[in-house]
Amino acid sequence: MGRSRQSDAVRMGLAVLVGLLVIAGAYAIFFVAPMEASQREIQRIFYFHVGSAWTAGVAFLIVFIANIGYLSKRAPMWDRLAVSSAEVGLAFCTVVLITGPIWAKPVWGVAWVWDARLTTTAVLWLLYVGYLLLRSFLDDPARRAVASAAFGIFAFLDVPLVYFSIRIWRTQHPQPVIAGGEGSGLDPMMWRVFLFNWVALLGVMALLIWKRYRVEALLREVEELEVEIAWKEADAASRSVLAGQNN
Amino acid sequence: MKNFEFIFAAYTVGWAVFFVYYLTVIRRLGRAEEELQRLKEMLQGK
Amino acid sequence: MNSLRAASIILGKELRTEFRTRELLTTTVVFVLMVLILFSFTFDPTAEEARRYTPGLLWLAFLFAGSLMLFPSFAREQVNDTLDALRMSPAGSFAIVMGKVLANFAFLTLAEWLMLPVFSVFYDVSVLRVLWQLLLVFALGTFGLALTGTAFSAVAAHARMRELLLPLLLLPLLTPVLIASVEATAGLLAREPQFDVTWVKILAGFDVVFLAASYLVADALVEE
Repeated sequence: MGRSRQSDAVRMGLAVLVGLLVIAGAYAIFFVAPMEASQREIQRIFYFHVGSAWTAGVAFLIVFIANIGYLSKRAPMWDRLAVSSAEVGLAFCTVVLITGPIWAKPVWGVAWVWDARLTTTAVLWLLYVGYLLLRSFLDDPARRAVASAAFGIFAFLDVPLVYFSIRIWRTQHPQPVIAGGEGSGLDPMMWRVFLFNWVALLGVMALLIWKRYRVEALLREVEELEVEIAWKEADAASRSVLAGQNN
Repeated sequence: MKNFEFIFAAYTVGWAVFFVYYLTVIRRLGRAEEELQRLKEMLQGK
Repeated sequence: MNSLRAASIILGKELRTEFRTRELLTTTVVFVLMVLILFSFTFDPTAEEARRYTPGLLWLAFLFAGSLMLFPSFAREQVNDTLDALRMSPAGSFAIVMGKVLANFAFLTLAEWLMLPVFSVFYDVSVLRVLWQLLLVFALGTFGLALTGTAFSAVAAHARMRELLLPLLLLPLLTPVLIASVEATAGLLAREPQFDVTWVKILAGFDVVFLAASYLVADALVEE
């Protein structure tokens, strides 16, 4: 199973397109989007921070669908899609957790607040790191796929529960008041810039998942060959034992 | 521009995460292809 | 074979297996006791502010002890491949899982009931006046713990580092249970006891969601 010229060309084209979208998006963020009244320039991080969060959400949704797909159909493609999307989702989640504090520090004075959104993101991060760790500790490909699919389903179903329980908890133990927040009443032009950038980020996500998927497919091929070689060696060894016995 | 260093930090570190991840994927791709080649040759030899 | 009957037979087997040695139960109880005592050194246990932390520490002790105790649930089936025997029986996968879940629920609840009087003495909290509500909260929270913990015991059964993996997978997932149980318990143990039904609803919701999830992936869990 080699790579097809066609899929290479498509991927190249997509990469160029996404690259252009990202650059155009960056221009829009800094020169098109209006200045935010109270936070001024620093607010421009919002486009990247929230966009990454939404993209991570999409990636994790893909993992969930792939998990269900694998458990129902048992086709390897679902497992490959699951691990690829999980890793890419985790990358975006990491960006959310890094850009959040960088935005928060000048705006609120503290780098981290235990509000519902950031805390849920932290828990989400832990869950998907757990997903990848679980996979890394399972050597048998079939077991790995089944076990991680089951865990992945549980993890995804947990997220709304985590978010709501933290939110209710936070309303009972109020934190320092967060003025404005992230999307409270967005100017229409800002909204457009945000959506444009979000599409660009989704493009980046798709490219990364695609690339990672290919690596996974190759790794499975390597595994299969290793098994084949092991069988051949065992076969040859048993033959020579038998031959030795007959002499 | 007020708070410039924060905006700069956020965008550079953020995109760096994606690049670093991409590089790890490329590296794994290279190693997988090498391993595949090696195993195929081993199989021919048998 | 009827699922309910199958599950209760397996429940019986799990209970009998454990009561032969009572290892898990004793270790769990000792662990919770140890946490309660050690934590008392990190703050003044009788001060008024301490009251805010004690429910949290009680539940953390349960969660840690639970996640350690749940690990053998599926793992010990590996020793003589007894899971294969279970799989070949007419019991459905869900019945097998539920039998184990209920057994773990029973052990954990027993450990908690043993710990409750000790806790109330150590930290000077009155539990009797809110006993039924407290036991309800405990039951719902513990069921969530037993349910997800048993499922993950199956998931991690063949993994390397599985003893460490189980708490690592389980504890983030149990965030809603931790928050809801702690808040509900804190409300009940306060000077003016309050019973906040919101938390009970969250605990019940958690249990229902993961009960459904376990039903759907039961085959995958037992397949390991």
